[in-house]
Amino acid sequence: MKLFRRLILRPLRRDLMRTLLTLIAIALGVAVVIAIDLAGDAAAGSFESSMTTLVGRVDYEITANAGVDETVLAKLSGLPVDARFAAVIEQPVVVEGPTSSHTSTVLYGIDVIATGTGLSSGQESGDLETSAVVSSELAERFHWKKGDSITLRGREQSADFQIQAIAPNQNTGWIGIDIGAAQKLLDFYGKVQRIEVFVGPGEDGAQVEKLIRATVPPSWEIETPGARSEENRRMLRAFRWNLRILSYISLLVGAFLIYNSIAVSVVRRRTEIGILRALGTSSRGVLLIFLGEATMLGVVGSLLGILLGRGLAAGIVGMISDTVNALFTTSTPGALALSPLSVAAALLTGTTVAFFSALIPAREAARIAPAEAMRRAVVEHQARLHTGRDLLIAFTLALASYGLCQVGPIEGRPIAGYAATLLAVAAAAMIAPAFVSSLIGALRGFLKRFLGPEGLVAGRSLVASLSRTSVVVTALATAVAMMVAVGVMVGSFRETVQVWLNAQLSADIYMRAQGQARAGIFAPLASPVQGLVERTPGVDSIDVLRALEIHYEGLRATLAGARTDILQRSNTFRFLKGDAREIMASLPGRDRAIVTEPFTEKHHVGVGDVLKIPLGSGVAALTVAGVYYDYSNDRGMILVDESTLLKYLPGQPVNDIAVYVKQGFDRVKVRRDIDDRLRDYPVLIAPNEFLRAEAVKVFDRTFAVTYALEGVAILVAMLGAANSLLALVLDRRREIGLIRYLGAARGQVRRMILTEAGLLGFLAGSLGLALGMALSLVLIYVINKQSFGWTIQFHPPFALLGSALLLVWIFTILAGVYPAQFAAGLEPAEVVHEE
Amino acid sequence: MFSTSVLPIHILDATKTYPGGVEALRGVSLECAAGSVTALVGRSGCGKTTLLNLCGAMDFPTTGEVRVSGQDTSKLDDAGLTHLRRNKIGFVFQFFQLLPSLTALENVELPLLLAGAKNTEAKARERLGWVGLDDKCESLPYQLSGGQMQRVAIARAMVHDPAILVADEPTGNLDTASGDVVLKLIRRAADELGAAVVFATHSAEAAAIADIRVRMRDGRMESA
Repeated sequence: MKLFRRLILRPLRRDLMRTLLTLIAIALGVAVVIAIDLAGDAAAGSFESSMTTLVGRVDYEITANAGVDETVLAKLSGLPVDARFAAVIEQPVVVEGPTSSHTSTVLYGIDVIATGTGLSSGQESGDLETSAVVSSELAERFHWKKGDSITLRGREQSADFQIQAIAPNQNTGWIGIDIGAAQKLLDFYGKVQRIEVFVGPGEDGAQVEKLIRATVPPSWEIETPGARSEENRRMLRAFRWNLRILSYISLLVGAFLIYNSIAVSVVRRRTEIGILRALGTSSRGVLLIFLGEATMLGVVGSLLGILLGRGLAAGIVGMISDTVNALFTTSTPGALALSPLSVAAALLTGTTVAFFSALIPAREAARIAPAEAMRRAVVEHQARLHTGRDLLIAFTLALASYGLCQVGPIEGRPIAGYAATLLAVAAAAMIAPAFVSSLIGALRGFLKRFLGPEGLVAGRSLVASLSRTSVVVTALATAVAMMVAVGVMVGSFRETVQVWLNAQLSADIYMRAQGQARAGIFAPLASPVQGLVERTPGVDSIDVLRALEIHYEGLRATLAGARTDILQRSNTFRFLKGDAREIMASLPGRDRAIVTEPFTEKHHVGVGDVLKIPLGSGVAALTVAGVYYDYSNDRGMILVDESTLLKYLPGQPVNDIAVYVKQGFDRVKVRRDIDDRLRDYPVLIAPNEFLRAEAVKVFDRTFAVTYALEGVAILVAMLGAANSLLALVLDRRREIGLIRYLGAARGQVRRMILTEAGLLGFLAGSLGLALGMALSLVLIYVINKQSFGWTIQFHPPFALLGSALLLVWIFTILAGVYPAQFAAGLEPAEVVHEE
Repeated sequence: MFSTSVLPIHILDATKTYPGGVEALRGVSLECAAGSVTALVGRSGCGKTTLLNLCGAMDFPTTGEVRVSGQDTSKLDDAGLTHLRRNKIGFVFQFFQLLPSLTALENVELPLLLAGAKNTEAKARERLGWVGLDDKCESLPYQLSGGQMQRVAIARAMVHDPAILVADEPTGNLDTASGDVVLKLIRRAADELGAAVVFATHSAEAAAIADIRVRMRDGRMESA
């Protein structure tokens, strides 16, 4: 313990600034990892059905695309098992408020008698039809209390309900009413969403399931409620994996800095190592000293990181949840749960990274012979001599990285793509020494001519400390590369989406039910709306979209019907291959469909394949006529002509209307006219431009977390730059003192260190830009494509990248301010004679 | 005696006490004229280096007066001291103290660059020629022998024609042959370039090249 205190803790205390900077770097790396994990868990962990609150624990759910035929209930009830069966409707509904404050929420229609819910207690049967239970989230949002009256709007009519109860501790918005009232309101006769099964105590669940399967059509699904949560988690898997990998970049950048920090410690304590060895310490003992130092930094840094990560998670859970809702599935963030397991995992990750990052410098320290006074010049000369070998390794790594990019996804994950990224970073690390010395060599004349002695000495000092400079440059370059790669990917994606939006949103005015738009939720428009819009003067034509969520091969997707002749006229779709006109013309009146690119990626189907989709009591066999680019969400969509959809689902309501205004008519005036006509209906009417702007806004919000992650990685790299510059100053303090002897003013010393900082930033920026461009190709064409199935056109946002790189460069120079001050403050007479 | 206004080094009754109470100098006076060589001899810890620091405007006395090139160093701020060192003083150290990342030529050129001088490279080449190393311009320090490194250090110290050359044990880390070459150069710095040379040494042979030999003990001058 005494030795631990003297040989590990005391040196850490002596180099307080280095220790603190390293700790902050580890803490930030760990914090980001834990924050992404916690926030991801919270965003993904809240899919538990609100039905549990209403009806208690459900054992099985019976579902079918486009709803379950109600008549099956009679057959199920006759089964010789101890089980209750309750029909449920789960549909979006519009809650009417004062003018233009309508909202849409989830409506549960439940069989009050069969489920024995609180809704029925003490109620007359007449009251049942007008009673409602609301979730506490909704009640709080709209300041509702028990006994208040609310108006719900269905397709044909509105109905008033009295709030009988408020379900406490709910984080999602929903309203529960009796199933009879729900069917009447939503015009949902003869069909229900699903049937909940409650198995009696002592009854064999498997037997119940077997009998149910024998009773219902084979295309229907019988699953446990947990399966639904599992499906949601599966949908989010790629998204969460990508975030997780991004979060590991900060840790990787941190690893370079721990390596550097321990290397500095080894250099600074060279004499001490010699003395310890002379006093009888074994080389293993020396190894343990430095590994102990790294482990200490890892443990303390990770603990700080866990605390910081918990705070960060609270900040980003909203952002992640927004993305989940916009692109994947409807959810509300659950509580952030920091489990002992995740604490232990974070602690282990941080400490392990610290331990392994320190292994190389610690082994170097252990190899120092007792009487050896290692001359840095010799070490650096050797480092330079190895550049040929390093370049060969780099080339091999780059080649392997390219090879991995050709490998397909493994269990739906771009594992080879991630490995390719890692190998590319490793290749850059191997290139770094040669890159630093050759670039500084090329800049030699420039530095001396334009930056004077400060430039000359700064450049040479960086090359002289090549092994250390290379690590800092690699760390900073990795962070910059991540920024560039993600920047290029997001910029390209944004441009691609904008081009797609321009084609997609070809109509002049769009309409949907009021309320928040969420993936998989298709609120129906009231029946009269379509006719009212069509008859508005100035309306040339309208397209309507009827969409519903279906299950296809165990994954959720959207099936929609549209007027394909109108879509064809406006040239809305861009197909991966084939003539758009021919493809669209082949749809009306036939069982043919076009599907989105993510759909084909998920289900491995292509043109000519037949999709067998159970719809109601039948099965629609749809031939894929074309695959089109679509960036609206990740779940995949099957689009058929309106006539085809109505053939299978005659009552399917309209969810969206697109209006084309006649030439010569004022679009604004037509919109106002439509507004007037639909005054009594909760419809959101938006012009084309508004929708485009909104879509881009959602897009930008989606990538806010990505930018935040990049920011942290850059911050970690900055800390590393400051740490390393400080280390360079400490290591070269005699040299700095000497320069003062030779007539350098304090200002010149300060400028010299700032020039070094600037050069580090420039070197890292250049290497990072090259690496980042390569990584962006991996992100766009391998990782993104394999994760989400979207084709992104390569559009690097040069102006944005330029500004970001400039900003990073300025921050790197700022990171040199403290080391520069420190260097300028050194007393030459003291430092020159101290060794 | 010389007039104090023109003497490169004029120290009068200087004392130096370090924090902690260590008295490094106890009333020392020294005058060095242009073209003269002064040797400070004595054991380690006798105050030689402290006295050299006063001569080189690297430190201030606790009491007494130090005039370097006619300027009272205690009245100069950091910028003034830097200016003085940059233009009037050259330093040579026992362990050469060349910047390992710069070539011999660049090491010699550095004081001129720091001073913002013109034709720096030509002057540096000329001074390297003066120490007999014109063929080592592009060599890095680790490629040179100890004697060569010290010659580069002397070239660097004299590149800006300083009025004063301060050398701390210039032959302390060299073999006899290399040491002789270095001592000859130090002598030439005074004779040919007119510098007032003051150097510390343990060696009686080295001290023999000096015009004035000052023996020091416990921070005091014992005899001339």
